Amino acid sequence: MAMFPVQGFVDGDFVLVLALVDDTDPMTVVAEKIAHHSVGKRVAAQDRPMKVKLRGEMQADDATLTSIGAAPLDVLEVVYA
Amino acid sequence: MPHLPRSEWYDLTRDMNWDLTYVTEDEAFPPALSNSFGVPAEDWWAWDEPYKIAYAEYVHNQAGKDQGLFSVNNVISRSGIFDNLDPGWKAAILAHYGAIAVAEYQASIGESRMGRFGRAAAWRNMATYGTLDEMRHGQLQTYFPYQALHKEPRLDWAHKAYHTNEWGIIAARHVFDDMFTANDAVSTAIQLTFTFETGFTNLQFLGMAADAMKVGDLDFGALISSIQTDEARHAQQGEPTLKVLVKAGKKDVAQNLLDKMFWRAWKLFSLLTGLSMDYYTPIEHRTHSFKEFMEEFINKQFIDQFRDFGLEKPWYWDQLLNEMNWVHHAYHLGVYFWRPTVWWNPVAGVGPEERAWLEEKYPGWNDSFGKYWDVMGENVRAGHPELTLPETFPIVCNSCQVPVCTPAGYAAGYLDSPLPYQLDLGGRRYTFCSEPCKWVFEETPEQFAGHLSIIDRLLGGIIQPPSIEGALAYMGLSPEECGVDGTDYAWAHATAPAKV
Repeated sequence: MAMFPVQGFVDGDFVLVLALVDDTDPMTVVAEKIAHHSVGKRVAAQDRPMKVKLRGEMQADDATLTSIGAAPLDVLEVVYA
Repeated sequence: MPHLPRSEWYDLTRDMNWDLTYVTEDEAFPPALSNSFGVPAEDWWAWDEPYKIAYAEYVHNQAGKDQGLFSVNNVISRSGIFDNLDPGWKAAILAHYGAIAVAEYQASIGESRMGRFGRAAAWRNMATYGTLDEMRHGQLQTYFPYQALHKEPRLDWAHKAYHTNEWGIIAARHVFDDMFTANDAVSTAIQLTFTFETGFTNLQFLGMAADAMKVGDLDFGALISSIQTDEARHAQQGEPTLKVLVKAGKKDVAQNLLDKMFWRAWKLFSLLTGLSMDYYTPIEHRTHSFKEFMEEFINKQFIDQFRDFGLEKPWYWDQLLNEMNWVHHAYHLGVYFWRPTVWWNPVAGVGPEERAWLEEKYPGWNDSFGKYWDVMGENVRAGHPELTLPETFPIVCNSCQVPVCTPAGYAAGYLDSPLPYQLDLGGRRYTFCSEPCKWVFEETPEQFAGHLSIIDRLLGGIIQPPSIEGALAYMGLSPEECGVDGTDYAWAHATAPAKV
């Protein structure tokens, strides 16, 4: 386990934020950690599951940053499925 | 002393140019400080300023300006005018003083570099006046806020700001170091005096002086008007420098210098002036939207000047026009949400009347930007203002050092992608808010690659502890100095947002 800084944003928000996640976090947790800084603060919450996109590709919920080959400061986009 | 008309002696006393024999040209004018861009020494001697003034006249004029200005200040500083200013206007002038006062003094360094390393005696003469001008501006814009410290202690940021690592100041210092503090004389003339002063500040100061008078801030209005008269004169160093470059076949050099600094100036201008014009200035005193101001005074008038010299619009012109629709709205959201990180109290400026005005000036604003304020307003009304405050940091651009707001441009329908531009170089990852910002960096990567953004400093362990509190302390902001909502959330408790 290691701390992993990423640039993240929730679809519809206005800015990229720094999010500190863990390289073994599943994408569901990564999405929550990024959304914590956005959803309910600037972006209205939706009753739908969140997904993570890296370089335009939707990632599996159980994938980790290590398993998808993400690099520090990669840009992760959180979208509602 | 003979009383000759100035025209009979001016050129003779001004043009003290001579051929160098004891030293080489590079020894007298080192390229790092002067940079002729290959234009022969004698060609520079054709440099001729459009506005001529002798030293005695300069001193006489400046003394008169100061006499008038300090008379106003002497009266106003003892009145209650500052206390009664609108909170938005107070935000605008606190931001202005912090961002500009010491930068003016630094501009005197750039002017004095031209005063020594300018390529013609006429230019060095003009730049000497410019040096004195900028010293005056630095002194005035630290003295006037100093007079009002007992009314607003954070006016000391007029002096303090540039001695801190506050994020906005890192951004301002990054561009101003590039533009004048650490620039060669020829590039300074093109990038500071022609691009920035003629294109942006000269016109901005005219607009700000008029706005100040309308809101009743006579002190600030008189100050800015007085400064503008100096700017209008010394900004004219750019034109003859440009003429020499173009005549020598170096139009591409001038175009490149202009293109780089016009974009850099735009990014800073949209952050500082965009917020002031569209959110901080009380709505009843607004004459133009920021976009209208840009279209009329910057884009149209300044572009006419480009063309007069045979230059073209910068290659990124369409991207500039695109950003004018949305980027400062995003910056305002960022400054408001991260308000503890600035030294003034940002006002939201999104009450019902303001939202109607924004919708009129920027059709679609309610749908594209109002939606963020809707969520924040609901949180305030539900008793959770803490949800309008940050727990992390925005990513900032490695070129302009301002938060990367590409998702806003995408969400508002102005960009094809919400993703930023990135570059991996020398083992580091660099992030950029726009294609022109990446281009500026890649033009001279050796100049910019070593700089650490506020986020790089956080991730590199320079900011300790790596938390909001640690970052605020690193930025020189004590709890008493951190920005808070300028109207104590009055905007959120006003009636429901207007739908247009």
